[in-house]
Amino acid sequence: MADPSATSDPLTNQFGSLNDLAHDLASLQDLAMLGSWRSILDKVSRARSLGLLSKPHDHLIYLSYNVLALTKLRRFTDASSDLDSLHDFNSHHYKYESYPQLYPSRSGSMVPFSLRFIHAQLPFNLGNRQEGLDRFYLLLSFIRRKIEEKGSNSLQESAKIWRKRENLVLHCLIGHHLGAKEFNVCLDLIRDLIDHDYLDPILISKLGYIQMQIGDIEGAKGSFHRVETMLNQGKNEGYSSLSEVEFRNLVNRNKALVYLVGKDYVSAVREYEECIERDHTDVVAVNNKALCLMYLRDLSDSIKVLENSLERVPTVALNETLVINLCKFEILCFLVCPMKLSCLWWFIQWRSLANYFGFAVG
Amino acid sequence: MSTTPQGIHSLAFRVMRLCNPSFPVDPPFRVDPADLFFGEDMFDDPLLASNLSPLLSTHLSKSTDSSDMSFADRYLLHHPSDAMGFSGLLLLPQSFGAIYLGETFCSYISINNSSSFEVKDIIIKAEIQTERERILLLDTTKSPVGSIRAGGHYHFIVEHDVKELGAYTMVCTALYNDGGERKYLPQFFKFVVANPLSVRTKVRTVKETTYLEACIENQTKSNLYVDQVEFEPAPHWSVTILKADGLLHPADSLTAGEIVKPPILVRSGGGIHNYLYQIKLSSSGSEQVKSKRSNILGKLQITWRTNLGEPGRLQTQQILGIPWSCQEMELQVLEIPSLINLDSPFSLHLKLTNHTEREMGPFEVWLTQNSANEEKFVMINGLQTMVVSQVEAFGSTDFYLNLIATKLGVQRISGIMVFDTIEKRTFDPLPDVEIESNNEAKSKIIANLACVWSVQRRSFDIFYITCGWPPFSSDDPELCHYLLRRG
Repeated sequence: MADPSATSDPLTNQFGSLNDLAHDLASLQDLAMLGSWRSILDKVSRARSLGLLSKPHDHLIYLSYNVLALTKLRRFTDASSDLDSLHDFNSHHYKYESYPQLYPSRSGSMVPFSLRFIHAQLPFNLGNRQEGLDRFYLLLSFIRRKIEEKGSNSLQESAKIWRKRENLVLHCLIGHHLGAKEFNVCLDLIRDLIDHDYLDPILISKLGYIQMQIGDIEGAKGSFHRVETMLNQGKNEGYSSLSEVEFRNLVNRNKALVYLVGKDYVSAVREYEECIERDHTDVVAVNNKALCLMYLRDLSDSIKVLENSLERVPTVALNETLVINLCKFEILCFLVCPMKLSCLWWFIQWRSLANYFGFAVG
Repeated sequence: MSTTPQGIHSLAFRVMRLCNPSFPVDPPFRVDPADLFFGEDMFDDPLLASNLSPLLSTHLSKSTDSSDMSFADRYLLHHPSDAMGFSGLLLLPQSFGAIYLGETFCSYISINNSSSFEVKDIIIKAEIQTERERILLLDTTKSPVGSIRAGGHYHFIVEHDVKELGAYTMVCTALYNDGGERKYLPQFFKFVVANPLSVRTKVRTVKETTYLEACIENQTKSNLYVDQVEFEPAPHWSVTILKADGLLHPADSLTAGEIVKPPILVRSGGGIHNYLYQIKLSSSGSEQVKSKRSNILGKLQITWRTNLGEPGRLQTQQILGIPWSCQEMELQVLEIPSLINLDSPFSLHLKLTNHTEREMGPFEVWLTQNSANEEKFVMINGLQTMVVSQVEAFGSTDFYLNLIATKLGVQRISGIMVFDTIEKRTFDPLPDVEIESNNEAKSKIIANLACVWSVQRRSFDIFYITCGWPPFSSDDPELCHYLLRRG
């Protein structure tokens, strides 16, 4: 029920659109979906200078987009400074109850959670891995306290969202430990998730990839078998909400990996082709198929497969791994001179391909 | 690294080492809309939560729509595990990397005709050269390539099991006709093979059992997944691997079909893993075998895996045990009475074994007399020389020596001599045996003897394991002395 007074709570009304959540949020969101990070920086800067952001929560949401855009443009130091301007996420300045006129009968933190996430992630990009790990583990305990708090106050929907955030942070941690080849920690973290009944087929598949990476082929086969069983039993818990196509492709890709490691590249290609037939945007299948073709000495086909995907589904296919593989194939085929690739390599190193290549291919 | 030759060639080689690809990992800055559009505690209000959910699912479904040509996938999380930054995409190795003994060197070879005319009658060879040998990996003489058109190329994959350390050169050569002229193109690609592991062993023998401790150290730059470490015993030996019990990882108790068994992963640059084996003679009855056995215990066979299951295999050289000394006659103590009283006769049960191929004996057994530096307090009770009958080849006989102790406390039985009356030879096969003689009035002390071969000295070290202790009075000088001796 809308309060007719001038200081009506802007957040109790039905949310038909994003703009009900924050000033012109829909436009920010559209820009983000297009990857137009510079435009977002401009928009935030203009909104701030023109005083368009009247409420504290508007400022926070705009700050979140600003920080995110800076990270996407690899301006990590700037992103860090912007975040530091908040000083303390837990300050009363960022609580609804500190502004009873603006948010009557509302309490809790108005900080968008992504700010905490970016705050923990940034040190890795600034070369301070230990700080990043510390922040993530502190964030994890913070989240777990929140889950307990929400649970004991019977705030089920809130607890559910905080558990989702717990998952996010655990997955980030697994990724960071994996990057540092701390495999035993990764396996422990994943085992922990699975022990708490988090039976996501993608996670279990990734467990298989990690087992394969370290050389535990039998362990990997066991994990993949488990995922296939889940598909056959029609089990797809609410965690990952995989579509039927995605689930089947996952199982096929897992099978292909087992063939690949066993050097049966022909069977691996066959599995990947099944995936691509089902979903031509399955870029993992496309990329890995190209690799198998190379092992079969069919380098020209490897190149064709990758170039086709870049043409058909550029925004999905355009990623550092695929492009690096393609460059290597082309060098082997004498299609490109390594010296001429130096600019390309530079771009790849700085990962701004998405912004500079766009849709132009071939 | 390739050394390109001088002169103009129509053909050129490019090679790429083909080891297994890897999964790149890069946790991204991708968010969930619920963590961006509003404050983190927004869902505390269930009414709000129900209002917001449809809005969120609209935006999530937009990001998963595969026909959407936006960059949504780089910004929003499609699935929770996207946060790991590990998608299953495979990346070719970025550099040659390190190559180790026991691995398989695999290379992609591409030959290209960069001229504007066809090149004919091509013979391509690839050879591995080390200090010791040259191995031909590829030779198209039998199955000729024929010709390569202008701008065309040919591909090969070659493999070689690396069994030697040190510098390797892969030489790729092409012999071809270039517009009437026969040309020869050699190209050289060098690499070095290093040792992935060091294996240190320790051997200990206790009675009839030999224990082998093997320590495997990883000297590579990456973690090693230890697939199998097997000890292959020499003939007539059998081996059991000994593992610590009671240290089950919780994951070990998972049911079949469950996953996550902890792997044996030895960390890079100096990580170690230890193995313990118990090695015994498999044909225990055969004395013939015992006397002929050498001290070769066997070999360790180690298989490991690195990146994406890339296998490696090494075998150690023969591992040697303690040299077996060929004693012709062996005297063993079979039993000592648990209670030996002062001035009371007791029997020492002995066994004499003939390790030779012929019948030996009869024998005379006695104790040597007191020497200048040692007074003996255990002597034969009765006839000072005992006769023991012949012992057949590889046979044994047991007998009792009747002894008496004349002093309290721990005393030595030393100098048991065995004399072959036919061959007129003396064997001195039994080192000192310690016993403890007690005052009869005291209650029992149970003593067990343990004999351990010392690796360095090959002599008996004898120590007591004593259970139970009688009440004693401190004014018993012999007992105090004994206690002091025992320390």
